[in-house]
Amino acid sequence: MFKFIHSSDLHLGKPFGRFPEDVRVRLRQARADTLPRLAALAKDHDASHILLAGDTFDQTTPAPTVVRQALNVMRAADHVTWILMPGNHDHANATELWRQVEQDCPPNVALQLTPEPYALTPQATLLPAPPTERHPGRDLTDWFDTAETPSGTLRIGLAHGSVTDFDSSEEGASSIIAPDRARRARLNYLALGDWHGQLQIGPETWYSGAPECDGFKHAQPPCALLVEITAPNAPAKVTPLPTAALQWHRVQLELTDDLTGEDACIAAHLATLPALPERASTLFDLVVTGRAGPLDRVALEQSVAQIAPDFLWHRADLSGLGFVHDTADLDAIDRQGALRAAAEVLSHEAADESLSPDTRAAAQAALSHLFSFALEA
Amino acid sequence: MKLLALHLTNVRKFTGKRASITGIGSGITVVSEANEFGKSTFFDAIHALFFEKYSSSGKPVKSLQPYAGGGVEVAADIEADGGTFRVEKRFLSRKSATITRLPDGVVIAQDDEAERWIATLLGGAGDGPAGLLWVRQGLVGLEPTGTKEKSQLMETRRDLLSSVAGEIDAMTGGRRMDRVMRRAAESFSEIATKTGRKSGPWKAAADEAEALGAELATVTMQVQALEGALQKRKLAEAALARLDNIDAKTRRDNALAAARLALEKAQAHVGAVTSARQKRDLAALKAGAAQSDLDAFLAALQSLETTKTQAQSSLAALHDAKLDADQLYALLEAARIKHEQTTTALMTARADLDAARRQTAARKAKAEAAQLEQNIKKAETVLGERDVARAVVKASFATPDWLRRVEAAAADVAQQNATLQAQATTLSMAYDGALRITLNGAPVPENQPVQLDGVTHLDVPNVGRMTVFAQGIGEVAKQKLITAHEKLNELLSTGGVATVEQARTLAAARTEAQTRVNLAQAVLDTLTPNGIETLRSAKADADLAASEAHDNALPQLADLEAQLVQAELVEDTARQAFNHAKTPHDAARELYIKTQAAAQTAQLAFEQATAHANTLAGPEIERADSRAVRLRAQASAQEAHKQAEIELQELVSAAPDLDTARAEMKRAEDAVTAVQAQRAQLCEQLAALSSEIRTLAGNGIEERRDDLAGQLEAVQARETRFARQAAALTRLQIALEAERDAARDTYFGPVQEELKPLLSILHRDAALHFDSESLLPTGLVRDQGQETLDDLSGGTQEQIAILTRLAFARLFARQGRHMPIVLDDALVYSDDDRIIKMFTALTRVAQDQQIIVFSCRQLAFQDLGGARPQVTVEPV
Repeated sequence: MFKFIHSSDLHLGKPFGRFPEDVRVRLRQARADTLPRLAALAKDHDASHILLAGDTFDQTTPAPTVVRQALNVMRAADHVTWILMPGNHDHANATELWRQVEQDCPPNVALQLTPEPYALTPQATLLPAPPTERHPGRDLTDWFDTAETPSGTLRIGLAHGSVTDFDSSEEGASSIIAPDRARRARLNYLALGDWHGQLQIGPETWYSGAPECDGFKHAQPPCALLVEITAPNAPAKVTPLPTAALQWHRVQLELTDDLTGEDACIAAHLATLPALPERASTLFDLVVTGRAGPLDRVALEQSVAQIAPDFLWHRADLSGLGFVHDTADLDAIDRQGALRAAAEVLSHEAADESLSPDTRAAAQAALSHLFSFALEA
Repeated sequence: MKLLALHLTNVRKFTGKRASITGIGSGITVVSEANEFGKSTFFDAIHALFFEKYSSSGKPVKSLQPYAGGGVEVAADIEADGGTFRVEKRFLSRKSATITRLPDGVVIAQDDEAERWIATLLGGAGDGPAGLLWVRQGLVGLEPTGTKEKSQLMETRRDLLSSVAGEIDAMTGGRRMDRVMRRAAESFSEIATKTGRKSGPWKAAADEAEALGAELATVTMQVQALEGALQKRKLAEAALARLDNIDAKTRRDNALAAARLALEKAQAHVGAVTSARQKRDLAALKAGAAQSDLDAFLAALQSLETTKTQAQSSLAALHDAKLDADQLYALLEAARIKHEQTTTALMTARADLDAARRQTAARKAKAEAAQLEQNIKKAETVLGERDVARAVVKASFATPDWLRRVEAAAADVAQQNATLQAQATTLSMAYDGALRITLNGAPVPENQPVQLDGVTHLDVPNVGRMTVFAQGIGEVAKQKLITAHEKLNELLSTGGVATVEQARTLAAARTEAQTRVNLAQAVLDTLTPNGIETLRSAKADADLAASEAHDNALPQLADLEAQLVQAELVEDTARQAFNHAKTPHDAARELYIKTQAAAQTAQLAFEQATAHANTLAGPEIERADSRAVRLRAQASAQEAHKQAEIELQELVSAAPDLDTARAEMKRAEDAVTAVQAQRAQLCEQLAALSSEIRTLAGNGIEERRDDLAGQLEAVQARETRFARQAAALTRLQIALEAERDAARDTYFGPVQEELKPLLSILHRDAALHFDSESLLPTGLVRDQGQETLDDLSGGTQEQIAILTRLAFARLFARQGRHMPIVLDDALVYSDDDRIIKMFTALTRVAQDQQIIVFSCRQLAFQDLGGARPQVTVEPV
C-alpha cells in the first residue's frame, strides 16, 4: 500500500493587504501553520509522502524568511518526504525562488522542476507537470500518456491548472488539462492543484483545494486529501482531512416582504451567524439583498453593529438591499412640516428613474440618514 | 373640519362610562365645567384621536387608560368636505380605527385606511401643519404654595410660548429639525469641512490612498526591475550555455587549426616566390649593368666628338665679339667727355645766380632793421609814461565809487544838520547900538540865528539876566548827525583828505591819470601789438640777414637766369648723347664676356670628354675590340633575366591567397576571442544581475506589492464609502435647508400679517418682535420701547401666545383649511380688561373658525358668549 497526503495552493507569503493589520497577521500565520498541520496529518495517518501540487508560494520571489521558514518546517518533519512542485504563482521559471529552495533544500524535500518520472518509492512513480510559466498555454500533462514507468508500479500524476470543460482557474486562465488524463495516461491517481476548493473531477482525479481559505469563493471547509492505493489495479481511496484554522463565511441574507417588522429582520440576521465560539476565528461577509423599510434597515444595521466585534473580521454589504417605505415610514420622521417635506423630496428623488443612479443613490442614502437622525431626535 | 360632538368611553376617570359633549357650534364653544370634571381628559383624548395611531401603545395613549384598565374608545363627529363623519378609535385592546359616514352609517375606512383618511383630513397631504391648533395651554389656574410647585410654575411661564413654538416647529420642523440638521452637520463634519473638503477619516483615507498609491508605484517599479533582471539573467545564462556548448567549442577550435595550417602553407609559398623574385631581380640588375656599360662606352665616344666641335665654334665667336666691343667703347668715351664739359658750365651759371639773389635779400633786411630800431625807441618812451600814470592810479583811493559814497555821506550830514536846525529854538538879535547881549558869557552876534538848547541864560547889560527855557534838541537827531559826521569823516580819512573839496580834487587827479594810462596803452597797441620783445626779436633777425650785405655792384638777375637756362639745355643734350652711346656699348661688352665664358666651357668639356673616353674606352686603338666584348656581355645578361622572369611567374601563378589565409586565420582567432570576451562579459553581467536580484528579492517586494495593492483597494473602498456618505449628507442638508426655508417663507410672513389686527385689539400701535432663527416672538414693541418676553407679565405672555396661534388659525382658514382651535384652561393670568379684549379677538377669529374653550372659570368666561354644548356622562 502507498499512502500519501495530497495538498496544494498553500500560497505562503500571501499578504492579504485589503484586510486590517491584525487580521493580516492572523491570516498569514494561519497559512504558515498549514505545513506542520499537514506533517501531523501525514504522521497520524502513516503517510510517507506529502504531494504539494503547486502554488506553495504566493510569489515568484517571496521574502527569504517565507522560503526559509517553510523549508525549516519541512526539514523538521523528517518522517515524511515532501514533493514540491511549482504552480502558476511559483512557476518553474521563477529561477530565484527555486535556486534558493535548491540551495537550502532539506534531504526530505524533492523538487519537481522538470517533467520527468520520479521514483517516489520502488513501487510508485511520480509524473510531474510543473508549470513553466504563469500561463503556459498548453496541456503540460500530455507527456503522461507516453511516459514509461517500471512495470507493475503505481503511476501518480501531479499537475497544476484547470481542466477543460471545467470552470476557469483561480487565476482566470484558460482551462487546458484534459479531464480524462488519468484514464488516458493510466494513472492510479492524478493530484491537481490550482482550484482552491476541494473537487473530484473523476474516479482518480482530485483537486485537494487549499488547506486554508483565502477568500469567500469556496463554501466547503478546507481539507487535505489522504490517498491510499493498495495495488496498481486497485482504485485509490481518498479521504478528506480538515486542515483549516480559520473559517471564511459569506452569507446571503435576503429580506423579503414576508419578513415584516424590525424583530423579524433582526431574527433573520441572527440566524445567519455561526456559533459564538467560532466567531473569533471567522471572517464573516454578510451580503444583504431584498427590500426593507427604513426602520427595518436601521434595526438591521444596529444588529450588525452589535455582533460585528465577535468576529475576526466582519463586513456587511447592504448595497444590494432595496429601499422601500410607505407613508407610515415617513410618519416616523414627521407627520408634517419641513422635515416631512424633505423626506418626501428625497423619497421621490430616490424613486425617480429619470435621474442618474448616483443621484438616486445619494437621495436614498440621505433619506436613510434622515430616518436615523429623526429617530435619534 | 369642524367638531360636532365628542365621545369618550372608558377614558381615565370615566371608567366604565361614556362621556359626551354634543352641540358644539361653528364659532366659539365654551365648555365651562368645574375642576375635576375631566376637561383635560377630553382634550387629551381628542389629541390622541387625531394624532396617535390606533395601534399605538405609547405614553399619550397609555395615559388615557383608567386604573381599571381595558380598551379606550374615543370618537368625534365631524363635518368635513360637505359631509358628516364619525371618527372613532379603540386603543390598547381590540385596537381599531373606523370612519363612518353619519347620514347612512356606512363605514368608509378602517384601521390603516382610516388612519390615512385622518392624515389626509388633517395634513392636507403633508403640505402644512395640522395639529398646531391642538395645543394645551399648559397653565393651571391655582397659584402653587410649595417651592416645588413654584418652580414648576416658573418653568411653565418660561415655557409659556412652548405651544406656539410647537406650532412653528410643526411648520419648520422646529427643534427636531434643528437636531436633525445638527446631527447631519455633525456627521458631515466628521468627514469633511464646511466647504466640502475632505477631513478626518475621509481625508485620512485619501491621504493613505495617495501614500499607498505612491508606494505601490515605487514597489511596482521595483518588481518590474526585478522581473527585468530575472529575464535578463535568464537570457544571459542561456547565452552563456550556448557559448559553453562543447560542439560549438570544438567547431571553433577545428576551424582555428585549419586556418592556421593553411596560413603556414601560404606563407611558405610566399617564401619561394620571394626567392624567385630576388633571382629575377638579380638577373635584371646584371642585364641592366651590361646594357649600361655598353651605353656608357658608346656615349663617351659620342660625347668626345661633340665637345670637340663645340670648342672650335666657341673660339670663333669669341674673336668676333671682342672686335665689336672695342669699337663701341671708343664711341662711348667721346660722349662722356662732352657731357662732363656741359655739366661744369651749368654749375657755374647756377652759382652766379644764387650769389646775386642772396645779396639782394641782405640789403633789404638792413633797411628793415633800421625801421625796427626807431619803433623800439618810441615804444620804450610811451611804456615809461604809461607805467608812471598807472602808479598814480594804483596809489589813489579816490575811485569814482569812493567819491560817490563821500558825496552821499556829505548829503546825509547836511540833511541831518537841517533836521537839527529845524528842531532847535533859535535866537536872532538886531541891535540898535553897541550894546550886546551875552549868551552864556559870549555876545550874541547880530542877525545870526543862535540855537538855544535847554536852559539858556541871556545877560542883558544893564538890565539883568534873562533865562530862556528853550525846547531841547532831540537826542536822536543829535545822534544821527553825529553818526553822519562819523561816516563822512571815516570815508574822507580813507582817501587821506579832510574835506569834501579835497576829496573831489583827489578823485579828479586819479581820473586824469587813468586817462593817460589808456592813451599810452593805445599807442603801444599800435606799435607793438605783440609786445616790445617781439619787436626786439624781429630786429635781431633783420640784423642777422643784413650781415652779408656789401656795396659792390650787382649784375642783373634776369641776365643770370637766362644764362642758367641755356647751360641746362646744353648739359641735357650732352647727357642724352652719352646715354645713347652707353646702351650698345654695354650690350657688346656683355656679349663679349658671355662668349668668352662659353669658349672656356666648351674647351673644358672637350678636355673632360677626352679624359673620359680615354678612361672608359682605353686608347683609341683598342676601342673596336672593347665594343664587341661589351655587345656580347649585354646579350647574355638579357637572356638570363628573361629565364628568371619565367620561373617567377610560374611560382606566382601557383601561389595560394595569403590574404585570404590570413583573413581566415583572423576570423577563426576573432571567433575564439569574441567568445571569450562575451563569456567574460556575460559572467560579469550575471554577477551584477544576481546581486541586483538578491537585493530586490530579498526584500520580498512582490509580496509587498500585493500587500500594498490590497491595502490600496481597501482604502479606496473606504474612501468611496466616505464620498458616498458625504454626498448623501450634503444632499440631506440641502433638502432640509430648502424645506425649512420654504416653510418659513410660506408661513411666517403671512402669520405676522394675520397677527397685526389681533395684536392691535390688546395693544394699540404695538408690534411683536420675532427671532429670525426660532421664529418665536421674543419681545413686544410699544410706546417707543421694546420689552423682552420674559419681562412681560404672565398675562401678557399668554395673550401673545394665544394671539399668535389665532393668527395661524386665520392663515389656514384663508387657505380653506378650517381647523378647530382648542384652548384648555387659557387666559388664567389675564385681568378682566384684557380678558374682554381677548374675547374680542377670539370672536373676530371665530367668524370663520371653530374655537372650543375648556375652562373652569365659568364666571370669567361668561362674557365670551358662544355656544354652550351639552355634556353628558352615562354608564356604558
